[in-house]
Amino acid sequence: MAATTESVKADAKEAPLLNKTNLIAGWMLYLVFYSFIRWYEGVYGWSAGLDSFAPEFETYWMNMLYIELVVEVVLASGIWGWLWKTRDRKVMSITPREELRRHFTHWTWLVMYGWAIYWGASYFTEQDGTWHQTIVRDTDFTPSHIIEFYLSYPIYIITGVSSFLYAKTRLPTYSEGLHLMYLVSVIGPFMILPNVGLNEWGHTFWFMEELFVAPLHYGFVFFGWAALAIMGVVNTECAAIGKLLKKDLA
Amino acid sequence: MSASQSAVRSRAEAVAVSRTFDWMILFTLFTVVLGGYHIHYMLTGGDWDFWTDWKDRRLWVTVAPIVSITFPAAVQVMLWYRYRLPIGATLCVVALLLGEWINRYLNFWGWTYFPVNMVFPSNLIPGAIILDVVLLLGGSMTLTAVVGGLAWGLVFYPGNWPIIAPLHVPVEYNGMMFTLADLQGYHYVRTGTPEYIRMVEKGTLRTFGKDVAPVSAFFSGFVSIIIYFLWHFFGKWFNKTDFISGEDV
Repeated sequence: MAATTESVKADAKEAPLLNKTNLIAGWMLYLVFYSFIRWYEGVYGWSAGLDSFAPEFETYWMNMLYIELVVEVVLASGIWGWLWKTRDRKVMSITPREELRRHFTHWTWLVMYGWAIYWGASYFTEQDGTWHQTIVRDTDFTPSHIIEFYLSYPIYIITGVSSFLYAKTRLPTYSEGLHLMYLVSVIGPFMILPNVGLNEWGHTFWFMEELFVAPLHYGFVFFGWAALAIMGVVNTECAAIGKLLKKDLA
Repeated sequence: MSASQSAVRSRAEAVAVSRTFDWMILFTLFTVVLGGYHIHYMLTGGDWDFWTDWKDRRLWVTVAPIVSITFPAAVQVMLWYRYRLPIGATLCVVALLLGEWINRYLNFWGWTYFPVNMVFPSNLIPGAIILDVVLLLGGSMTLTAVVGGLAWGLVFYPGNWPIIAPLHVPVEYNGMMFTLADLQGYHYVRTGTPEYIRMVEKGTLRTFGKDVAPVSAFFSGFVSIIIYFLWHFFGKWFNKTDFISGEDV
């Protein structure tokens, strides 16, 4: 009887396998933040974002660019540094249950990566199409670019690299060697950001109008394909989780 | 860790854990495929997909299927050949259309004020269902590429016809004849995309009129077959689970 009570107490104290609060809070964080950003675009895009030589453009858009760049560098350094600093140096000796718990945390990171990719690659990128096909740009730092290139892309890069670092430093599955498709699925979409250099060079010196299917944009396409490497990550995860469960689930 | 030890304490917990992972994996796969497929599609066929006055009988019918069969072919490799789920193409297309519809409402209409009946996305669902059904019934990559790929190109225009037909009726305006879709583009000015950029109805044989869409669809189906093969093998590569050493990076 006493032993049973102890066991129940131990179970009650044990951290849950999946921290649902973190999962929901993380998901909501992106949603609320990007809803605010979309509201900001709606209000200050038309009223202060059409003439880059106007003082209000500096106030509402360039200042936003400076702030987001600083915050992103601080966030990336902080999160990546913390993940590396607190890495598990005895990762091969954790219990199967702890390993399963970490897989859940890892998948919380991956859910955030998927969510961030949606906002960056789908929502804000196609939004850029309608903005630049409608207005005439007079700068590389348009309201649309300040959000798309310099906010939503860095956010999915920070999230993706964090996910990779979590897996590498805390899961036995990834502790030895580097998972090729994981690297591709994080570094490929990351390369979309440096490709902005080609995009701006082309729009500045060659083609001011917006044609979305222009060859100038094919670099974004090529690196976007790398998102498919998530399939290799899912395959590895399914095998690892299946091994941990060791149950017939049919 | 012990090789014989399970991480769960009962079969019921194993089932619950497995189902929770299913949902997390599905969400991630859906959103990542959505992002990758959407950025690919909008930058290779987007202009024909954005605006009704670009949705012509020739280039839209030719380009949209060719560039959109890519991700479905690759994702089918994973979902069918690894997990026996015949939903790869449909999952891709549903993800893409969800991303597009959200954008057309919240941004094309909500930010730049174009009416939604000018900026709705192309319908790719009939082709996706055929692609999945051919793979399910035939179980063959070659059959899916040849039959499914050809059908993907051929059904695109019929699949969109009920939606686009009312906008392709002719109107006379200031002494000129054009389509209602052209009239939308005429009234809703896109300053960043002047008329000389619009690529529609260019060609020679189109002078004869009625054959334009079927010929475009047939050519599109032919190229879609080739693109399916190519992207099947891309998909195989992206499904790898290999590790490399740090020295290789």
